[in-house]
Amino acid sequence: MSAVWTIALLTVREAVRRRLVAAFALISVVLVTLSGWGFYRLSHNVGFTSGESHVAMPEAVILFMFMFSFVVALSASAIASPAISSEIDSGVLQTVAARPVRRGEVLFGKWLGLAGLLAAYTAIVSGLQVAVVYWASGYVAPDPAAAAAFVFAEGVALLTLVLLLSTRLSALAAGVIGVALFGVAWLGGVVGLLGETFNVHALRTAGHVSQYLLPTDGLWHAAVYYLEPSWFITQQLAETPGVRGNPFMSLSAPSWPYLTWAAIWLVLVLVLGLTSFERREL
Amino acid sequence: MSPARSAEAGPEGRGLTASPGHAADGAVPGRVTDDPGARAQAPGSPAIHAIELRKRYRRTVALDGLSMSVERGEVFGFLGPNGAGKTTAVKLLLGLVRPSGGEAMVLGAPAGDLQTRRRIGYLPELFRYQSWLTAREVLVLHCRLRRLPRPRWAGAVDDALRIVGLSGRGDDRVGTFSKGMQQRLGLGVALLGEPELVVLDEPTSALDPVGRHDVRTIIRALRDRGTTVFLNTHLLAEAEHVCDRVAIISRGRSVATGSLAELKAARPSVRLRVGGLADGWWERLAGFGRWTPDGDWLLVEDMAAGRVPDLVGSIVSLGGQVEAVIPEQQTLEERFLELLEEK
Repeated sequence: MSAVWTIALLTVREAVRRRLVAAFALISVVLVTLSGWGFYRLSHNVGFTSGESHVAMPEAVILFMFMFSFVVALSASAIASPAISSEIDSGVLQTVAARPVRRGEVLFGKWLGLAGLLAAYTAIVSGLQVAVVYWASGYVAPDPAAAAAFVFAEGVALLTLVLLLSTRLSALAAGVIGVALFGVAWLGGVVGLLGETFNVHALRTAGHVSQYLLPTDGLWHAAVYYLEPSWFITQQLAETPGVRGNPFMSLSAPSWPYLTWAAIWLVLVLVLGLTSFERREL
Repeated sequence: MSPARSAEAGPEGRGLTASPGHAADGAVPGRVTDDPGARAQAPGSPAIHAIELRKRYRRTVALDGLSMSVERGEVFGFLGPNGAGKTTAVKLLLGLVRPSGGEAMVLGAPAGDLQTRRRIGYLPELFRYQSWLTAREVLVLHCRLRRLPRPRWAGAVDDALRIVGLSGRGDDRVGTFSKGMQQRLGLGVALLGEPELVVLDEPTSALDPVGRHDVRTIIRALRDRGTTVFLNTHLLAEAEHVCDRVAIISRGRSVATGSLAELKAARPSVRLRVGGLADGWWERLAGFGRWTPDGDWLLVEDMAAGRVPDLVGSIVSLGGQVEAVIPEQQTLEERFLELLEEK
């Protein structure tokens, strides 16, 4: 077994032994149960007209996924921030690095293990969510699997960035900076949307730049697109520019050039992390 | 470990016997005769050879031109006060940090060489292992990372646990271990796969007297089977017990290297009882060392090595009667402090 797999499995085992997986499971149960109750109440609201119910369900699903994407991103930051720095501080990593193992293998193994955990978490909660919403209301979003994949991609982008920071900064600093950048990127998306809505070129450009510098918000918007029924988008496009669109909506599918850039960004940040860790003195 | 020694290991590939101790029962972890890494050595080259090794951390000079050579199969003590640069030197030899200058060869390859690390065992000064794993799981992890052939894992892990006295605790989580037990586990990790070179950085810092005795027994057993041991310590008694040669480090440089006997005899002292010396003897004998009257005796300190017979001859030639000559045995600690003061 290669060193990468050894470290990846060790990372997963650590998550299990340290009850991280149990905590994730508990949070997931709470999330899905509460949302199931909410969706049930929403869909059985006797005061709703059929038209209101028709609009409410997609919006509620999008709001749930927004909250869930935030949980995924914060979890990504929390699990990645101590991955390297804390092990250097404690001395655990020195015993591993003294073995015939490349530093890059250690970092990539940790990335693989953490990304695997995040993928499993996203897939399970998203799957349960689809099932619960269907049970409560009979509603299914257009492409929940694609949306979950983009929520996962958003989390992995932040995970990779925080892992890079963790090769040089303390766990606390890496985690705080990661979350702050995630928030700034989200704000950047809002600023870009405002620029779009009111046709302010500078704001629109700022929004685009932020989506390229840290693609978490761009990936969130890609996720949203696959949760929106087509009539929903058509209706929004028909609105006057001043009222259409908000941070929880996406009026167009993610472009291939942008998705390609997001993939390149991910690889670049990962390679930067590998290089940084290779050069780090232990 | 020479190839010939590997061949002596027997069909089970088990190591040579160790002197019995509290924990060491004679077995050492399985010798790996089918390990390509073990064959890829440069015979005849020193185990460690450092030339003008330097390391600077911004304004702090941790190593300032360290040069030394450690022969294969010897137990080499690396002594120095706190902050002398010992741990930095160890990390440089293992490739954990990069030198600012100079070069070091370890087992015939540049320090930090990936393949060579298969032949090195290391107990770090800051020994910490995954607290959520059991001792056995930690050892298996290092078998994997060490790329030991899988069929050898079980035997190597059992041997390592037995040698360091943790046989009964193999399935307990490391997080439940005392500091001393964690250090024992670290020693077990360092011994996995019968490395040719074992680097021990302050290996008894957390151990009680029984543990220290056990470690000394293990080190002697390693030497008996031909393993080179690089012992980094500031405990002089530890070095006196087990080391064949030592280097004394001060401010990032080696200030003395040699066997303990050589070091202690480098500037001998002698106590003399002499009668009948004529006036003016002082001018003729002053150059032998530092003279101090002590009652009926004369103490001559800081002499050049091998000059005692010359001194006695000179006294006799001056008409003196030598009634007694008592060599003064300098302790390693005295010599150590003397060397640090000189530098």
